[in-house]
Amino acid sequence: MLNQSLIKDIIGTVLKYGGDFAEVFVENKYENRIELTDGKIQKANTNNISGVGIRGFLGKKAIYAYTNVFEKENLLSVAKRVGEALSEVKINDLTLDFDNKKLKNRHVIYLYPRDVEKTEKVKIMKRAYESAKNYSELIKQVQIWFWEYDQEVLIANSEGVWAEDRRVKTRLMINAIAEHNGNMERGFYGPGASMGFELFDRIDVEEAAKRAARIAARMVDAEPAPAGKMPVIISNEFGGVIFHEAVGHALEATSVAKGASVFAGKLGQKVAAECVSAVDDATIPNAWGSANVDDEGTPTRRNLLIDKGVLVGYLIDKLGGRRMGMESTGSARRQDYTFAPTSRMSNTFILPGDYHPEEIIAATEYGLYAKEMGGGSVNPSTGEFNFAVNEAYLIEKGKITKPVKGATLIGKGYEIIQKIDMVGNDVGRGQGVCGSISGAVPADVGQPTIRVSEIIVGGRNK
Amino acid sequence: MTYNEFKEKLFSIAKEKGFEAQIDLSESSEFSLRYANNDIDQYTDASKFSVSIKILKDGKIGRVYTEQLENPEKLFEEALKNWELTDSEDEEFFYNGSGKYIEMDLYNGSFEKTSVSEKIEFVKKLYNSAKCDDRIVMVPYAIYNNFKVSKKISNTLGLDVSTTADGGYSYAMAVSKDESTHSGLWMDVGTKFSDLDPEKIGKTACQNALSLLGSKSVKSGKYRVIIKNTAFEDMLSLLISMISAENVQKNMSPLKGKQNQKIASTILNIKDVPYYKNSISNRPFDDEGVPTKETPIIENGILKSFLYDLKTAKKDNTEPTGNSLGGSIRPINLLIESGEYDFENLLKKLDDGIVIIGVDGMHSGANPISGNFSLGARGYRVINGEISHPIEQITISGNFLQLLEKVEAVGNDSKIFYGIITPSILISELDIAGE
Repeated sequence: MLNQSLIKDIIGTVLKYGGDFAEVFVENKYENRIELTDGKIQKANTNNISGVGIRGFLGKKAIYAYTNVFEKENLLSVAKRVGEALSEVKINDLTLDFDNKKLKNRHVIYLYPRDVEKTEKVKIMKRAYESAKNYSELIKQVQIWFWEYDQEVLIANSEGVWAEDRRVKTRLMINAIAEHNGNMERGFYGPGASMGFELFDRIDVEEAAKRAARIAARMVDAEPAPAGKMPVIISNEFGGVIFHEAVGHALEATSVAKGASVFAGKLGQKVAAECVSAVDDATIPNAWGSANVDDEGTPTRRNLLIDKGVLVGYLIDKLGGRRMGMESTGSARRQDYTFAPTSRMSNTFILPGDYHPEEIIAATEYGLYAKEMGGGSVNPSTGEFNFAVNEAYLIEKGKITKPVKGATLIGKGYEIIQKIDMVGNDVGRGQGVCGSISGAVPADVGQPTIRVSEIIVGGRNK
Repeated sequence: MTYNEFKEKLFSIAKEKGFEAQIDLSESSEFSLRYANNDIDQYTDASKFSVSIKILKDGKIGRVYTEQLENPEKLFEEALKNWELTDSEDEEFFYNGSGKYIEMDLYNGSFEKTSVSEKIEFVKKLYNSAKCDDRIVMVPYAIYNNFKVSKKISNTLGLDVSTTADGGYSYAMAVSKDESTHSGLWMDVGTKFSDLDPEKIGKTACQNALSLLGSKSVKSGKYRVIIKNTAFEDMLSLLISMISAENVQKNMSPLKGKQNQKIASTILNIKDVPYYKNSISNRPFDDEGVPTKETPIIENGILKSFLYDLKTAKKDNTEPTGNSLGGSIRPINLLIESGEYDFENLLKKLDDGIVIIGVDGMHSGANPISGNFSLGARGYRVINGEISHPIEQITISGNFLQLLEKVEAVGNDSKIFYGIITPSILISELDIAGE
């Protein structure tokens, strides 16, 4: 990492040549990715990522630059380019006192992954492989990925912020492929956390692998999902991807500040059904999307977004905050130093409601039960979202009847959250990697079982 | 430590321990501008370098990646640990650089020579062109980007190749509004600054957004469909995964065992080309240093070849095709050969059906193992060979291989995307879900 006097020089250079705010982000990241296919380790990659991001603001303008040449001369010339690009405004006599108070680490790590022999990681992978492979004769191929990283960041800025954080993430990903009568299907499950190797004391590796195998095996012979508008019950945990895509992205300052969100200017208004409340919370100990500080050095916090259907908060970074005239909510994130930070979700979920999941199913005459969701995407300016259902069943007369596959759910976010009519009491969270303009970041999505009264299901026509 | 010192040190450590070694040095820089709300929204001017190291012994590879030229000893140890871990039975190789490399001049330099103020003018013009009409309520972004990449791959077998390329791209989104909002997007790539026309890109995005005003859904059912190049480009990622020899060998491609069989309509011809004029993904060699070449993939509907790296080629007892890119096997420029129909004639041939201009959710709603897809989509309803009204909030679903069999006509409107060159195609039947 860089020393304080060099950081002061960099910040001072940006301001001298034309910024009214300067920020330095220094990153060292050690990462391991191991891939197993056919029961054998095919690839083991170790990545050492290190670089410096320098950012300046002038009013609402932002300039970003990065480099991984750490020599003082280079860093100051990059800082000068940033300052010059902003303008020729001069701010003289910079005195900069960094606020060096240490933040409490809420995400205690017991076994740093880099301190654990890689052979131990492979043992976990092989256990998962055997479990998925032996789940059913239909399972013809299994892929396992082990992914861990240990990221150290230092963030300092001209407002006196000096923050250091160490983010440790560990994840196991299982992809099971079933084949029957010439059809192939896959099932995926990928539990992860802001934990070290102790993650594997908390999760049941065999059960996790079976979950992926179950999806593939049940779906391989399933009929195509029906097409058209119908009620859809979305299971808990990763089901929360519906809120993440349909609503969460449109609450990020990135689009709200530009007026490019359907939720811009709607604070205090009723935007969702009364049974819907939702939060984004990066403070949950050891959760996949958690951190002590965000990537601008602002301490993270729990942000209530929707309270009983009323929009009460956005997710805001410093630049978005300047543009909106609001404070940062500690929501600035970036994949690494090659991306300027922007407002992003961390761990986002719908809060629990009153119903047991069984009651919701029993109350549904006909519809789709989406048990395991895949990923999705959204266009925040129109609210149009789509996401894939990886494991689905038909509901007929209040009962789950048969498996169906290939369903995609589409709609407009602001319409869908008004159509949620039942919310369960079984909140759970699932892990994903969210891609947006500041790169790919770990994010938890979550919810209890919910019912949407009407949504377009993209299946096949009879 | 200089790069040469670092390389020599690493090679000598490897030799000492009985390993071959390979270093892939990549130096890249990018300049990008994002314009929104009548101002520069983001400005990035950056550069980085990276080094990928592989060590080889007994047909196994150990890998390590770094962004600092220091500690070759420690990096070798890390690669060694990864080598020890690997127990794949597939034999790995390095390439000795003996083949013939196609000469291509991939560096023009015009992007570097263009001043920042000209680029700012460009993106302003792009933004304003995207607001071509009062019914455009917003231009969420107008983007300009140029890059330069230098690559150098060397190994202890004597491989020593290098190349420098530059390029740029630009895109904009416009949003129109009636009862709801509709977005229009357009993107172009260029090998020199003057290839990119901000007015054309902006105006096309604008017109695409306007063309969706008055959108309604359609009744669920089976329709004849034109998939425009802008949508088919996205959908082709399914084929990319299926033609990777690695996925075929690992039982993860539905094309396994189908070589020399008819898998598509006889009018369909698909190949991978290492060089295509004005493409920004041309390459003389792949990430293993193997020379790139033209590879026929589908000829008159018949599956001719998969794409290979060194390891998979040896396993299938064939030649590598020079398609090892970014850690997997991918085409350089996947090219669908143009057909005879201009868009008007394609519409006439469609007669009654739907034009799909964009799809959403390829990364989640499409399954490269089964080939099944179910995607959000938008486009136009066509009656009697003429566009009758725009459509949104529909999905298209089916199986990608069945779709290739149902190709009835191919357009002559080929467009270059990043690594894909495709015209629009006409499909005899596709499932649509809507009202």
